[in-house]
Amino acid sequence: MISDFPYGKAPFWILVAAILSGLVVWGASYLQTHEEPDLIFATFAQNHYEVYREVIPEFEKKHGVRVQLQLVSIRALQSRLQSALLAGTDVPDLVELVNPSMGYFTQGPLEDVGFIDLTDRIFAEGLDQRMVWERFSIWSSRERIFAIPHDVHPMGLVYRRDIVESLGIDVDAIETWDDFLEAAHIITRDLTGNGVIDRYALDLPSDGNWALRGLLMQQDIQMFDQQGRLTFNQPATIDTIIWYLRASRGPDRISFPAGWGQTFSRAFNDGLVVFVFTPDWRTRQYQMDLPGLHGKLAFMPLPAWEPGGRRTSVWGGTGLAITRQTARPELAWELAKFLYLDVETAGAFFLQSNIVPPFKEAWEEPEFDEPNPYYSNQRLGRILVDLARQAPPEYVTAYTELTHSKFSEVFLNAALHFDRRGETGLREYIQEELDKAQAYLERIMARNVFLFEPAQ
Amino acid sequence: MNPAPPTQTAAATAAGVPARLPGPPPRKRFQRTWMAAYFFLIPYILLTLVFFLYPFFNAVVLAFHQTNGPYTRVFVGWANFAFVLGDPTFYLALKNTAIFAVFSVFLQLPLSLGLALLLNQGADKIKGFFRLAIFSPHLVGQIFVGVLFSVLFVPRYGLVNRFLHELLGWGLENRWLENPALVMPAIILTALWMYVGFNMIYFLAALQNVDQNLREAAMIDGAGPWQRFLNVTLPAIKPVATFVVVMSTIGSFQLFELPYALLDGFGPANSGLTVVGYLYQYAFNTGDLGTGATVGWILALVIFIVSLVQIRISQSMKGET
Repeated sequence: MISDFPYGKAPFWILVAAILSGLVVWGASYLQTHEEPDLIFATFAQNHYEVYREVIPEFEKKHGVRVQLQLVSIRALQSRLQSALLAGTDVPDLVELVNPSMGYFTQGPLEDVGFIDLTDRIFAEGLDQRMVWERFSIWSSRERIFAIPHDVHPMGLVYRRDIVESLGIDVDAIETWDDFLEAAHIITRDLTGNGVIDRYALDLPSDGNWALRGLLMQQDIQMFDQQGRLTFNQPATIDTIIWYLRASRGPDRISFPAGWGQTFSRAFNDGLVVFVFTPDWRTRQYQMDLPGLHGKLAFMPLPAWEPGGRRTSVWGGTGLAITRQTARPELAWELAKFLYLDVETAGAFFLQSNIVPPFKEAWEEPEFDEPNPYYSNQRLGRILVDLARQAPPEYVTAYTELTHSKFSEVFLNAALHFDRRGETGLREYIQEELDKAQAYLERIMARNVFLFEPAQ
Repeated sequence: MNPAPPTQTAAATAAGVPARLPGPPPRKRFQRTWMAAYFFLIPYILLTLVFFLYPFFNAVVLAFHQTNGPYTRVFVGWANFAFVLGDPTFYLALKNTAIFAVFSVFLQLPLSLGLALLLNQGADKIKGFFRLAIFSPHLVGQIFVGVLFSVLFVPRYGLVNRFLHELLGWGLENRWLENPALVMPAIILTALWMYVGFNMIYFLAALQNVDQNLREAAMIDGAGPWQRFLNVTLPAIKPVATFVVVMSTIGSFQLFELPYALLDGFGPANSGLTVVGYLYQYAFNTGDLGTGATVGWILALVIFIVSLVQIRISQSMKGET
């Protein structure tokens, strides 16, 4: 048979391979269409996935449906999901998104947003009252809400209790950042006398980045307001940048950029940094990555900028959105409420993740009062919940990442000025840089014909 | 010289055996071959149409629109070009890319050539080992190399700073990836490790084709190693060198994954932002595919001009020699 094939053996086998692979693809898609679940739910976080896998069978049983849970890459849930939403190809019915991606999904006309507008449902069911309202801001655009928040992510400081106590520092007496600086100068030391500092008080990234933004949010200074207008250019921003420069550069610095992953673990484990900015989700990471610090760490609220001021900020966020393509929006909404508004699920999730839900009724669950032996038997849940009540809002737009990048540029230029000339003319220089950054960003934002009227 | 073997038909006729019946008439066979060729080319043609020609022409259309996904677009004329060409960040990206390209050509390629010259001598087994060792970084891919070097460049604990501190008593807290002044050197060093071996292979292949008679003749005429390199080796490998320079420059202008993985973004104050990174930022971070396409066309034009200049320079040098 092969010898009779007119074009020779190789083309014959190519043809056979093509036919076989075609059959396999067709067969696989045929089987897939015959086993389609009622809902497909995609998440990017392993710990979320683990909890949902345990509780979803209860939902399936209650509603007599089948839910397929997918764990996918965080990157897949931004540009690839947006492309799929806009191109109309297959997407999950529900997706968990990470902050600040909602700005990206809502960059066009509202009718082009690939998620169901949940605003009316949220108000109808009183979720604006039952959940931390400030957390809806990161899932909103033009006053419409497209996802429900999963978490509050209040931020405090985790510190090496063993070191701090050995130095006789009373953290309860640290109420403001000025108090903290006093203690920080006691902590920061060259222990071996070789001219190299071996212990720093604080972990601060040297390019500003998330820590600086967190400190600004603590003072209610946002990158954007609710209408998407730039709001970072304020006198208090300059004060905070100068504070940060003093803390992170020059001879009196009290901080070290410990970085991420193994580098951070090593620095914290070695006591190179003593205090670390920590939102709720990060507390669990230490438990997993640094078992040697069991019982040696403790959590404290952020020092305030003024006596009686806010003791927390926020960092990060996850939200659950329902895609417009879903064939069963009501069932998807029921699943969303089951996962996010069930007090028992929220309690169990807290034990696995240390993450505080924005659903206030869940805060009374006993899990939030359990002492955590890793954190020196502190009632970590209760401390975090108390901070969650003070969480500031955060507004995002399609230009959030670009604004972060530009803001980081302002900070680094200020740092170069500080390195060369100290504080001489620093304030005026930062003001100039902020003005330039704002003008640049406004020019770019004004180009978006979908969000703003083009300039005449 | 051996005589050509008789054809099957001629041999059979000579032996008195009737020849095997020939195939279809030539015209029909030609048609069948022609059709078969196109039949097997269909997948390639389809893929080219769908993934090359259509995006190519669509990119022209896109460059004149502001978009939100594939269906929502507004015609903006030359506004995207005016914006990009008036954007200081674009020039910063272009500057970063040009610096990287210059170092690729003037640092990376001489090193590759030097290594190739070294490996072109000596025992075959040793040559084979070092060839593999020096080439192997290229096999692991840009993302892996980026992630690996992001760990090596860490202050205090990173291998690079430890090495500098042990050797020079300096540099323990160098913030390679956080200090804008050190970001580009870090990218260049990383790329050096990755690409030196790759370009070395091209040079090595070229060196192995240099006519040994010419070298020997030059030696007999009293030419030293440097003169032999300048007057025999270099002219002989010039076509390959031109190719490597042009390809290396084009590759440098398309740089994206390596700094993106190394810096987990584009670095402080965009110090690691390349032109393709700038394209990515607009097309995929802010979702403006129109501006992304515009940057793509400007980049293509820049690469075309730079390559043309390089080829012209090479041709004029050829004329001189």
